[in-house]
Amino acid sequence: MSINVWSILKFFAYVAIIMFFLFPIAWIFNMSFMTNDEILRKVPVLFYEPTFKNYIGLWEGEIAIEGFATMYVYFKQNLINSAILSVGSVSVTLLLGVPAAYAFARYKFKGGEDIAFTLLSFRFAPALLIILPLNLYFSEIGLYDSYFALIWVYQLITLPLLLWIVRGYFEDISPDIEYAYRLDGHSWFQSFWKISIPLAKPGIAAASLLCFIYAWNNFVFALILGSSQIQPVTVGALAFITASAIPYGLIACGIVVSVLPTLILALFIQKYLVQGLSLGAIKG
Amino acid sequence: MEYDKSFFNLYFFTIIIELLLGLGIALLLAKRNWLNNILGVLLVLPLMIAPALASLIWRLLINPNFGIVNYLLSFIGIDDFTWASHPDTVLFTLIMVDVWVFTPFIMILLLAGLRSLPRQPFEAAELDGVPEYYKFFRITLPMLFPFILTASLFRLLESIQQFDIIYALSQGGPGESSMVFQVSAYLQTFQYTNIGKAAAMMVVLWAICYFLCHVFVQQWHKLKIKTKGELLQ
Amino acid sequence: MSHSKMKSAIDTFLKGKMSRRDLLIKAGRYGIGFAALTKLMGMQVTSALAAQDFDWKKHSGTTIKLLMNKHPYMDSMIAELDNFKALTGMNVEYDIFAEDVYFDKVTAALSSKSSEYDAFMTGAYMTWTYGPAGWCADLNDFIQDSNKTNPSYNWNDVVGNLRDACSWSGVAGDVPGAAGSKQWCMPWGFELNSVTYNMRYFEKAGMKPPGDLVEMTDQAEYFTKNAGSNEWSYGIGTRGSRSWATIHPGFMSAYANYGLVDFENNGGKLKAAMNSQASKDFHKQWVKMIASSGPANWSGYTWYEVGNDIGAGASAMIFDADILGYFFNGNPDNKEAGNFGFHGFTPNPSASAPTPNVWIWSLAMSNFSKKKDAAWYWMQWCNGPENAMAGGVKHNQVNPVRESVWASGDFDDKIRGTSPGYMEQYNSSIDGSKIHFTAQPLFFETTTEWAAALQEMQTGSNVDETLDKLASKIDRMMKDVGLA
Repeated sequence: MSINVWSILKFFAYVAIIMFFLFPIAWIFNMSFMTNDEILRKVPVLFYEPTFKNYIGLWEGEIAIEGFATMYVYFKQNLINSAILSVGSVSVTLLLGVPAAYAFARYKFKGGEDIAFTLLSFRFAPALLIILPLNLYFSEIGLYDSYFALIWVYQLITLPLLLWIVRGYFEDISPDIEYAYRLDGHSWFQSFWKISIPLAKPGIAAASLLCFIYAWNNFVFALILGSSQIQPVTVGALAFITASAIPYGLIACGIVVSVLPTLILALFIQKYLVQGLSLGAIKG
Repeated sequence: MEYDKSFFNLYFFTIIIELLLGLGIALLLAKRNWLNNILGVLLVLPLMIAPALASLIWRLLINPNFGIVNYLLSFIGIDDFTWASHPDTVLFTLIMVDVWVFTPFIMILLLAGLRSLPRQPFEAAELDGVPEYYKFFRITLPMLFPFILTASLFRLLESIQQFDIIYALSQGGPGESSMVFQVSAYLQTFQYTNIGKAAAMMVVLWAICYFLCHVFVQQWHKLKIKTKGELLQ
Repeated sequence: MSHSKMKSAIDTFLKGKMSRRDLLIKAGRYGIGFAALTKLMGMQVTSALAAQDFDWKKHSGTTIKLLMNKHPYMDSMIAELDNFKALTGMNVEYDIFAEDVYFDKVTAALSSKSSEYDAFMTGAYMTWTYGPAGWCADLNDFIQDSNKTNPSYNWNDVVGNLRDACSWSGVAGDVPGAAGSKQWCMPWGFELNSVTYNMRYFEKAGMKPPGDLVEMTDQAEYFTKNAGSNEWSYGIGTRGSRSWATIHPGFMSAYANYGLVDFENNGGKLKAAMNSQASKDFHKQWVKMIASSGPANWSGYTWYEVGNDIGAGASAMIFDADILGYFFNGNPDNKEAGNFGFHGFTPNPSASAPTPNVWIWSLAMSNFSKKKDAAWYWMQWCNGPENAMAGGVKHNQVNPVRESVWASGDFDDKIRGTSPGYMEQYNSSIDGSKIHFTAQPLFFETTTEWAAALQEMQTGSNVDETLDKLASKIDRMMKDVGLA
């Protein structure tokens, strides 16, 4: 009897969660095939003839509003920029962050905690506080409007996140396993690469996904530190709004397209998130 | 200060709700099957949409003239809910959208944590016939705690600096009812061009974050040592 | 014969020594119709620029960079930009940002004294801080210099009120355009705040556009009350977000029409005047209207929501920028496009004409530019008579800032063909239109507080108390900067 109540509760929990979190997503997807006229109705339209106009417009970059004006969007370029910035930032973060996280977890060196904490404090430096001085500084050293500079600044968001998440996972791995492996004649690097990283994979995977999302969604750094040529999708999608309409269909379409790369990454990473369970036995 | 009240309401409610909800979802999805695997990815979708754009869409969803949410609510007798346009409901609205966007963040971290927990304690408990709730409170939760702390630390830091959602939905209004530090600093910087004053406010904000963070990290270290010790026994 | 006399009259007008009204009166006297007059003017204005006694190629090879807002004005400029490049041999690069974030970008660029951008779009209010801070150049240095400005530029062809509105002495309380003013920016396109109404709805309701604020309130209430069985949702659209942008359009236009002021100026010392008895009465009327017949989520309303709602048929009328109605009427993606009528609005029953507060999209020159002279070449071309005409007639550079464009038959035909009542609205409103705010450096702070107070009143706070509180808060702010 109690099992029954439990599963009924569980069922409702699933329904509630799906309704709250996924209904808006479904509606965004729905709107991306609608015209503004169909979206902005007093009584919502449920049945309509889906249009691919929004997607075609985004792809071609030129949306003719008949007898009125032509609207230019640079969404393709925005997407490329987002990809460069996010992939670049996450790569740099992984390269620097994973070894650093390992060092902080494994070796208690003098001042280690202070350095780790300082890195964390970067994460909570208010963007507004640092953005204007950075703008000044980057203009002076000729780094205004460059991918390099933005990837550098993005480390403020991604590096501490990865460092502190992955560190926890490394700390959970018993040093004994590593010692045993090294006693077999393997080098320090081999044990790091073959033992520690695979064991920390779920953490690294989760942290990379989060870093990618945060880099992808960043708004203010690119806006202030770059020209319109290197703006990511987040800034680009706002430019759909014109003095003569808020094209919700187009915005919904932009959201759908801009979410796809992250979604694909999440699906790919899912595999590693699960892997942790089977390896859990040798930890602790 | 005049924004004290909304400040605390906003941050603490938001984080507590997100933690409980994120933990609940992570527990619900912990077992591997096709539904949980798919949901584990799909539920991250809200986080994948930039908060500024997510807020723009939410404004449409809850729009009294065209919004689907408002339309659906009218069927269960909720007409004319004021959402972000009345002091009584604005905090609820901001919290709701924040929860929608950021609960997945907690969920990802806790789900990954949950799935990486060692099996032995659970297997031992299984053999001893320990009841479920005992297993949850005495094994799962303590072992998950470092993950919970990491997740709440990052959420807290972000939440204190959360700007996009509040600015897009209420700009601190109506009146002063949702005015928070960072919105006011934004206005000082970019609208009033009082850059010095804004910088001073931001330094205060940074100091608050620094302090909170320090407390958190200390707790985190203590917990790590404690859970390790318990597991070794 | 009258033809040659008329020619000399046009010359005088083009040199800026005669007003448009006088020219039209003269033309009438000589028996010259409007279309013929325009033709005459066109012949004289569109003299080939390149043939002038002016070295357009002086900066050939120079590249300048603009910081621009995503706007129809920008689009019409880009559409004609090749002409400029051919004329001068210069290259023009530009960064375009959505309006939502545009001014953040401007503030960031200027406050860091960046030489990245040479010229940018702005509004007059912004220059009240940018100008005294030394962020933008005084354009008088260029306009008045015949070595730098081409002979047919004709600055005085730009509507006088607008030229004034873009200049200021920097002394709080001084009227824009008064002696000692610096020209911080120059008008490029502008908006008058009037009524745009859905003609279909008004016809159905058997109404004419409102004669005054009380009638507007009644009509708006009618529409809101009868929303259930009809297509529309509510009566009147106005902006309501917690921002200066809520105060400057319809609200300030109506406020000024009642003869009310934001500050009393006692020899440079400013005292907030929002809590005078007359102002309180006005606020009560306004708040009554928006609370009973505005959108339910009014406190989130910006330009976009106001336009979106009338475009989608949710609101019956708006009291906002005329070009807001014009743009949404013209965009066929909006459900109600083509159904709008325009109406010059006089809120105060005892006032004789509308007094719209004016918003002017303007061009300013960065003081940190290293290519000021070259940037000026672009600026004088951009709002010069030829490009203004092309923008007004061929593109969406509406409202044009030059008298010569308003007098052109092509422009007249275009507007009358698409926008019923628009010309009449313009003609009845332009003379009373100006910036009705007191020029002072805390403009954005004070108007944002004002908007916040309006939001409180709209959600039920006592009007008298809220305004008293607002006035004392603003007085304190002025005192902090030594202006009270």
